[in-house]
Amino acid sequence: MVPRFIDWIWHIRGSVALAPGQTSDEAFDKLEPLFNQVGTTHERAGDTLRFKKKDSAAQDKMSVFDGGVLQVERGPGGGVLRYHMISRALLACFLAPLLFLGFAQLAIFVNSYEAASAKAGAASEEKKKAEKEKAEVPMHPIDKFLGAPEPEKPEKDKADSEEEGAQEGKHSPTPACVFAGIFAALYVGGRILEDRLIKRLFRKRLYEGMVATSHSPMMPTTD
Amino acid sequence: MNGVRVGKRIIGADAPVTIGWENLPRVEGGPVKQFVFTWFQPAMLFALIAFWYYAPNSIAKFSTAIGIGIGVKILLLGLEWVNPRHESWRLTWKELATDLFFVSLGYTILRMADTYVGDTVIITSIQNFFQMEKFTWFTGLPLLVQAFLISFIFDFGQYWMHRGMHNWYPLWLTHAPHHYITQLNINKGAVGNPIELFLIGLGIGGFFDFLPRAFLLAGSLGLAVSIYQHINVRFNTPRWWRFVFNTTEHHSVHHSQDYEATRSNYSGTWIIIDRMFGTCVDGEAELLGMEGGRKMSIRENMTFPFSEGWKTLKAKFGRHEPAAVPAE
Repeated sequence: MVPRFIDWIWHIRGSVALAPGQTSDEAFDKLEPLFNQVGTTHERAGDTLRFKKKDSAAQDKMSVFDGGVLQVERGPGGGVLRYHMISRALLACFLAPLLFLGFAQLAIFVNSYEAASAKAGAASEEKKKAEKEKAEVPMHPIDKFLGAPEPEKPEKDKADSEEEGAQEGKHSPTPACVFAGIFAALYVGGRILEDRLIKRLFRKRLYEGMVATSHSPMMPTTD
Repeated sequence: MNGVRVGKRIIGADAPVTIGWENLPRVEGGPVKQFVFTWFQPAMLFALIAFWYYAPNSIAKFSTAIGIGIGVKILLLGLEWVNPRHESWRLTWKELATDLFFVSLGYTILRMADTYVGDTVIITSIQNFFQMEKFTWFTGLPLLVQAFLISFIFDFGQYWMHRGMHNWYPLWLTHAPHHYITQLNINKGAVGNPIELFLIGLGIGGFFDFLPRAFLLAGSLGLAVSIYQHINVRFNTPRWWRFVFNTTEHHSVHHSQDYEATRSNYSGTWIIIDRMFGTCVDGEAELLGMEGGRKMSIRENMTFPFSEGWKTLKAKFGRHEPAAVPAE
């Protein structure tokens, strides 16, 4: 059992108040279409509905979840639908930055390993020679006429590549670090967004076809 | 479903495919929206070509190209939001996260691996073995000709590799995961098994010598043309554009759930290559994917070529138990 102070990373919990007088059967009947999707199985037992999903369709409104439990509880203020759902996609997105930081470390390690090997030195010398040869090319008259900038001189090329090579090595860890940041931001966005979307979806379904009155305001919530 | 005869083939017998430009919906909205979504693609292409042609040497670098590429992708994600081709292709958080995972593999670990096993390495070793020099006279050609040659030579190779993937089972095993995508969005081009991404990236362009600026110009063709293969945006694509270049319409036919339709539109940028070899089908499809649109997880995507290959080998060469005969 994973402690609750950690499992919020991929577990989404919440509750939605039922309409006055709405029974658990009525509530689950309204939610039923959400579970009649490709790759989804569910079972109802009294006040509880359990579901499981596998390879759900991209446009399935609950595709981010792999399973969960919905339970109707009765209190003095009326019925409440409580839900507890699990999303491995959120967990994977939470862990993805670690993977990409690992790739960044790998790039740094490979760079230092290659810098130490005499073979890499010989290869880069050959490369520099080739670069020096290929840069000595006259510009085509059409490009001169149209005003395209002249290619850089070979000496400058060599100096640039040497400088860049010395600073960065063969593999740059920067893209991996950038993607680690992107996945961290994506996780935060997704955790907040999916939490709100599922609550809105359940509310919308539960109150579908109901008319608001002064005694039964539309779509009340408990938390 | 009856399908439509295109040349010798019946397209759309298994799943719906709309054939013919005249049967496709047009952009709905006012004159400004019509104008923007008619001229966006050509304007972007010519702007990028002009930029790379005239940019000073201090700016004309691959780092600038990466920055522009990211900027364009963000802009196109915005267009997907504003003017989707199909509501059923809307980007969700999970789809975005999955797509970005594959994109990020391409920029990190696969790029690293490519420096050891990629086409540059293979071509260099071939050149060393045969003591060949590069064809250097190409660098004396006008820049735009060089750019066209880079793009066309690469796409020509990609066309045959892609066609091979659809016709030879071992190659198909690597390409099949990409065909399990059920909608087109801007980063879907990166979704696929890493072996396929390596194979499709192989080219013979490395045998020729081109100016770096010509590579940047050729890259702008990729950014301003082939990027639209996977996009959920409705454009009124100009007639000349869709005759020469690949479009999201063409590529949606290629990704259709209809088997015969998938065996068309193989090129990445130049659909004219498909026209040359008789594999072009003009039209569009909304229902995409394999096995009726079954979704493939990232894990299955990674293991598919091996697990399916193993299953096939076992079925062919494995021991077959005799079928049980019911007792009388």
